[in-house]
Amino acid sequence: MSAELRVEGLRRGFGGAVVLDGIDLTVPAGGCVALLGPSGTGKSTVLRLVAGLDTPDAGRVTAGGRDLSGLAPERRGTALVGQRPRLFPHLSVLDNVAFPLAVAGRRRGAARAEAAGHLDLVGLGDLARRRPATLSGGQEQRVALARALAANPAVLLLDEPFSALDPGVRAEMHRLLADLRSAVSPTVLLVTHDRQEAAALADTVAVLLDGRIAQHDAVEALHTRPASLAVHRFLGGLVEVPGRVEDGAHVSALGRLVLPCPAPAGPGVLVVRQEAVGLVTAGDPAADATGAVGRVAPRGARSLVEVTTAAGTLAAEAGPGLAPPVGATVGLVLPVAQRWVVAQPAAG
Amino acid sequence: MSRVAPARRRAGVAPRVALLLAWFAVPLVPLLLWAAADRWSYPAVLPTDWGTTGWRQALDQGALPALGRSVLLGLAVAALATPAGAMAGRALALHRVPARRVVEALLLAPVAVPPFAVVMGLTTLALRLAIPAGAGLVVVLAVSAVPYTVFVMRAAYAGHDVGMEEEARTLGAGPRAVLLRVHLPLLAPALATAAFLAFLVGWSDYVVTLVVGGGRLVTLPMLVGALSSATGNDAVVAAVSLTAVLPPLALLVATALLARRGAR
Amino acid sequence: MPARRSRALLLLLPAVLPTAAVLGVALTVAVLQSTGLVPVVGEPEPSLAAYRELAGGRALLDGLRVSLGVAAASTALALAVGLGTALLARTTRLGGRLLRAAAAATVPVPHLVGAAAVGLLLADSGLVARTLSVAPGEFPPLVAGPWWAAVVAEYAWKESAFVALVVLAALAAGERELDETAATLGAGPWQRLRRVALPLAAPAAVGAGGVTFAYVLGSYDVAWLLGRSSPEPLPVLAYRLFTDVDLARREQALAVAVVTTVLALACLVLTAALLARTTRRAPA
Repeated sequence: MSAELRVEGLRRGFGGAVVLDGIDLTVPAGGCVALLGPSGTGKSTVLRLVAGLDTPDAGRVTAGGRDLSGLAPERRGTALVGQRPRLFPHLSVLDNVAFPLAVAGRRRGAARAEAAGHLDLVGLGDLARRRPATLSGGQEQRVALARALAANPAVLLLDEPFSALDPGVRAEMHRLLADLRSAVSPTVLLVTHDRQEAAALADTVAVLLDGRIAQHDAVEALHTRPASLAVHRFLGGLVEVPGRVEDGAHVSALGRLVLPCPAPAGPGVLVVRQEAVGLVTAGDPAADATGAVGRVAPRGARSLVEVTTAAGTLAAEAGPGLAPPVGATVGLVLPVAQRWVVAQPAAG
Repeated sequence: MSRVAPARRRAGVAPRVALLLAWFAVPLVPLLLWAAADRWSYPAVLPTDWGTTGWRQALDQGALPALGRSVLLGLAVAALATPAGAMAGRALALHRVPARRVVEALLLAPVAVPPFAVVMGLTTLALRLAIPAGAGLVVVLAVSAVPYTVFVMRAAYAGHDVGMEEEARTLGAGPRAVLLRVHLPLLAPALATAAFLAFLVGWSDYVVTLVVGGGRLVTLPMLVGALSSATGNDAVVAAVSLTAVLPPLALLVATALLARRGAR
Repeated sequence: MPARRSRALLLLLPAVLPTAAVLGVALTVAVLQSTGLVPVVGEPEPSLAAYRELAGGRALLDGLRVSLGVAAASTALALAVGLGTALLARTTRLGGRLLRAAAAATVPVPHLVGAAAVGLLLADSGLVARTLSVAPGEFPPLVAGPWWAAVVAEYAWKESAFVALVVLAALAAGERELDETAATLGAGPWQRLRRVALPLAAPAAVGAGGVTFAYVLGSYDVAWLLGRSSPEPLPVLAYRLFTDVDLARREQALAVAVVTTVLALACLVLTAALLARTTRRAPA
């Protein structure tokens, strides 16, 4: 019974400090939205407000058109899986999963039979009789997922559910969540600080910066067409060229660079993903900028090459074995289709 | 952050809290009133004449030396039971202990074995071996206190991060410095709690002092017992009783403050 | 690791040695003396005379009845009030702090002082009688009366604070998070109390109840001060026999001590068995 989740104008402060300053967010029925933001920006507070574990100062939450304001957590149909699994230590694995069914008034036998089905769904049917204390971290989190799904929630809230797990186990859990989505298609709001995780699991990603949703878009669009310099930087963007927009082109220390789509005239920062920037020889006529290599930082198989140009330090990624030596003069190509201009933030 | 508490559930909580607070507070009310009463004839609900007769009588009855003996007894019991409990708690929490169940059962047993039975059994022997009464009293009470100190210190050591001491070693601190600068400060709140509970065992005891001292060793509880078993002493009973309640209460507040400072 | 092992033994010694010595010697002497093997006067002669004599009279049976009854009533009341206090304290912030402080402040009150206070409260000229303005002689005999009401009240008062603190300590470890989790899974306040808080509190409550029962069973002062002179609870009976001018009565006193100790230890073993069951059981 997945339903559309709408969050409107949600505000919450703690002791004078405003943490959430008007959050608007929609998760379509059966969709998965990742709420991405740096640590300590109130991502978890959004989930607690949606789940009814905390009360907003203003704003409202609706699920499937039903206003949830003032409803106790148990009447909202918003199951929450946190970073730690929080399994009931006094119940067996099966009875943990049967818990939401039992409190909903199901008879013990029926509840256990249905819970066994959910446990099979996460691949732990064999561990039904075990105690939570005897499980591994990954197994515990699977049980927590099965238990949340057994509640048949209108919205499934996931609060960094995999961040405490080993990388291998995390990848496994990502596959499991994808499988669960295609099997039961719950509406999912996922909180994470991991860009890869957000990209891998969610249909769209909402970036939470300074108490507001800075941008809610597809992953690709967030990277290539950020709404602001802050979003660009938060997503790891390193190439920014301050200047101004005139007649469909960006004018800066690099000269006049044609833009692929219209942008408002006036001051603006040109941004390009460093992954898209091309490295060429210094004399190449295609080069949009020229400068000396200041630093080469290995990034796995690829390397990040920092180049000092007339417009400051720009960056490009080089493939395996293709990084130029430090001190060499190289040219940089900023492909026209990848150019994007964001507003110049106020000084400060 | 606020707990799951919609308005509906909050209603009705305040009266229940008030009722339970009254349950804990009411028995102490007559003590406070009587301690400030010169005369309180029946059936007046409040004392007829206010005054300090009770306190003056308490002084005449030797409340001060009794207070001193009680403090000494509590301190002696705490001084023995706290280090013993800390060491045993450390062993149980951090080491492999042979015959663990037997050791645990033995260290818990003084909670269940009635103190009067222990002291009656020992007195006969102590008399024959000419063990001084004071020493016997302190040892018996310290054994009674051991379960509490072991329990507190074991929990503290179980939550204690040995890595912190290892870290100090790698930073150049010797074993002595680690003990004084890292170990003891980290465990100070637990040690204070354990010492407080052990102190209370000595401070509160009645029957062991009665049997060992044969009524000649007068501590505060002995005085309360002697005074309140006779009639017409209500004001002085209240004064001596408060003398027996207020010092440990002050100590409790001090321990709580120390624990809070340790937590910060 | 022989070195580590001997270190553990060394650490245990200061607690284990005196405990084993004091309990072992005391109980051995009590058993030996009550069976006539180490008589106060005369030649050693093994006999169960002390026990037989006690069993013949009414004193031991009456004492057993009174002691077990008072312990059971006090424990039941203390568990009800203490558990109620702990479960209420976890739901409110300010109220919880107040209740915690009130319970903690009750701990340092010596039982005998508590008894004196309860006496001033419940006696026929006590504060309760004054407040209700009952005519002298019409107030029920709560102190030194046939129902041991004041004795039970004092134990229930002190021990309810103990139960509350033990249960609160047990709930402190993560109960709040589990309560929230249960709420998001659809459990209402009542369901959360029944299916989460109570099962989590149960082991602590069982342990505290067992300790309370054993304590009350073997405690002398409150029953002596607030109880009636006959029938006597076991500790009071033992002390009277112990201090009798007839030294032969000492053997009977130690027989009573042995009986009480056996009962208290049995209570502790029973508690341990109950605890093992509580922690193993898995309710749906």
